[in-house]
Amino acid sequence: MNPSLALFLQQLLNGLGIGMVYALIALGYTMVYGVLQLINFAHGEVFMVGGYLAITAAVFLTALFAHAPVVLVLTLMFVFSITGCAALGAFVERVAYRPLRGSPKLTALITSIGVSFFLQNAVMLIYGSKEQGLPPVLPDRLFFIGPISFSLMQAVILAVSVSLMIFLTGFVKNTKMGKAMRACAENAEAASLMGISVTRVVRATFVMGSGLAAVAGVLFSLNYESVNFHDGYLAGLKAFTAAVFGGIGSIPGAMIGGVLLGVFEGLGAGYISSGWKDVFAFVLLVVVLIFKPSGILGENIPEKV
Amino acid sequence: MRTMRKGIPLFLLSLFLCAPASAKDDEVLIGLAAPLTGDQAYIGVGVLQGAQMAVEDANIRGPVFGNTKIRLVPIDDQHNPAQAVLAANKLAADPDVMGVVGHFNSSCTKPASAIYHESRIVQITPASTNPEISRQGFDTFFRVCATDDVQAPVAADFVFSKLNLKKIVIIDDQTTYGKGLANEFEKKFKSLGGAVLLHEGIAQGEKDFTPLLTRVKSTGPELIFYGGVYPELALLLKQSRKVGLVAPWMGGDGIYDVTLIHLASAEIAEGTTATMLGVDPHALPAAKDFVTRYEARYGPIGSFSAYAYDAANVLIEAVRRAGKKDREGVLREVRATKDFPGILGTVNFDARGDAVGKSVGIFKVTNGKFEFLEEVKPS
Repeated sequence: MNPSLALFLQQLLNGLGIGMVYALIALGYTMVYGVLQLINFAHGEVFMVGGYLAITAAVFLTALFAHAPVVLVLTLMFVFSITGCAALGAFVERVAYRPLRGSPKLTALITSIGVSFFLQNAVMLIYGSKEQGLPPVLPDRLFFIGPISFSLMQAVILAVSVSLMIFLTGFVKNTKMGKAMRACAENAEAASLMGISVTRVVRATFVMGSGLAAVAGVLFSLNYESVNFHDGYLAGLKAFTAAVFGGIGSIPGAMIGGVLLGVFEGLGAGYISSGWKDVFAFVLLVVVLIFKPSGILGENIPEKV
Repeated sequence: MRTMRKGIPLFLLSLFLCAPASAKDDEVLIGLAAPLTGDQAYIGVGVLQGAQMAVEDANIRGPVFGNTKIRLVPIDDQHNPAQAVLAANKLAADPDVMGVVGHFNSSCTKPASAIYHESRIVQITPASTNPEISRQGFDTFFRVCATDDVQAPVAADFVFSKLNLKKIVIIDDQTTYGKGLANEFEKKFKSLGGAVLLHEGIAQGEKDFTPLLTRVKSTGPELIFYGGVYPELALLLKQSRKVGLVAPWMGGDGIYDVTLIHLASAEIAEGTTATMLGVDPHALPAAKDFVTRYEARYGPIGSFSAYAYDAANVLIEAVRRAGKKDREGVLREVRATKDFPGILGTVNFDARGDAVGKSVGIFKVTNGKFEFLEEVKPS
């Protein structure tokens, strides 16, 4: 294969991995926005908490059982982190957002920034300000297709994210709760007149969004093998960009937005300048907002959640 | 956006933190400015603890003059230049503050130094190595550490002559410290006749460097020099393994921290070299007492705790000699410091306020520890 083509494909693959993580977080932003028209800025922090919970589970398990099978450790990391984050999401919704239902949207938005600070500093106080390392869980295996290499971790990220996205799409399309979510997104008042409990739908949305962020957090901590209480900030901002880029409120939009953002960033960093990586992400956002303010898939899709 | 989101509540927090700073009549205040929260809080807390021990030791010895004692006022700059300026203004506004130990990051020390200069407060940084800071012509600025124009050429010479590697890639974290160090390295390395294949920046706080490393790999370097601090280097090391980049890495004092090895794992960090300002305090007889007491109290000593201890002691000694609450007087006495017996060696300042005669140590990660290789005296 032509070496520069191989390099290009390699960079594409690099971008795809982080893009999937962005997409998973972006889904939470977009789902909450769909139902409540609230940009939940604390969502990035939930992702970060997911990473910490995963590391806690891994440290605990590897300390307790020196030779625990990898699959078991991985499963428990996911279960622990998803349960914890889903509970956190439901709790935050109950304590911070539900009392503000019906107040101006800006109030809830500012509250979400407050929640974000609270979670960041709470985690810093609990775990300390130092980076937390993850004991190696997955073996460091590299696979090659011709000259292109990908790691076992990249394969896991792709497999987990894609199957979750398929599951989520099916859930929103086919289940009763999914239909209720779509109904609330369409018109919450009318939905409640039809006997749908908006409170329950909102709670379910937060729980699912936080669960997805937890999965992203686990994948992130597995891939980078360290977590810092700051990590939710930039990743959350990027995922928010991805959600807006794809069309906020649209589930397929968040997936596409996340993946495209990751790839775009990766190519920009690989070919132009890695110091400008964040700049590429936000320039992309500005350009999209200028030419298509509703995002790639925004508005055209009636069934936004 | 970043400063905005963090800035507002931190500003409020700093108001609370500084509210009780006004001293009683029998107290002299010394500011300690460092990143006490935020991504580099770990290093900042080590600096605080070092300075705290110096103040406690001084107060045990007795009042500095009359019946006046020293009190340390910690203030947080979050490793954020805007916060550093706020912190400096807070300290400057308090007439009982006679001097400041700090800041940690060059990017914070530089803007803050202008404020200290204006309000005639003497500032001694334990760790900011960017050479530009002392070239602004501020007579209130001092440092007890070496500068990057001493450190980086030593590193470049080591790579070119000792390791005999001629083709390298440079990566920096685009901060005042990281970029300054990387530029000094590049200048010296090129003047020796070496080839710099690529010099790229990364954004601090970023986690995914695989696109950059893939590109670095395609240029085929023999070594990669990193200007920056250890958290990003740990990720760079691990991810270079993932993209199949095998060249060894080298960095400056910012990567000399055992946490690097914990984060990257001993196996992956193996062979990474670092220049450090001076030698390991564990190896210095004069520092033994301090290191033992520090580690008994706080656990493993931070890379800059001993520097903070020295900086605070120089300042306290100056206050003692000045004999009254007078900023100009304290400044004059710091300037008059001669052969001060610091635990890391004798402290003397040149006309710019830079430490004189600070040697540079070269360390290499061997079996999960930074092993001392050699010491280079400044020429």
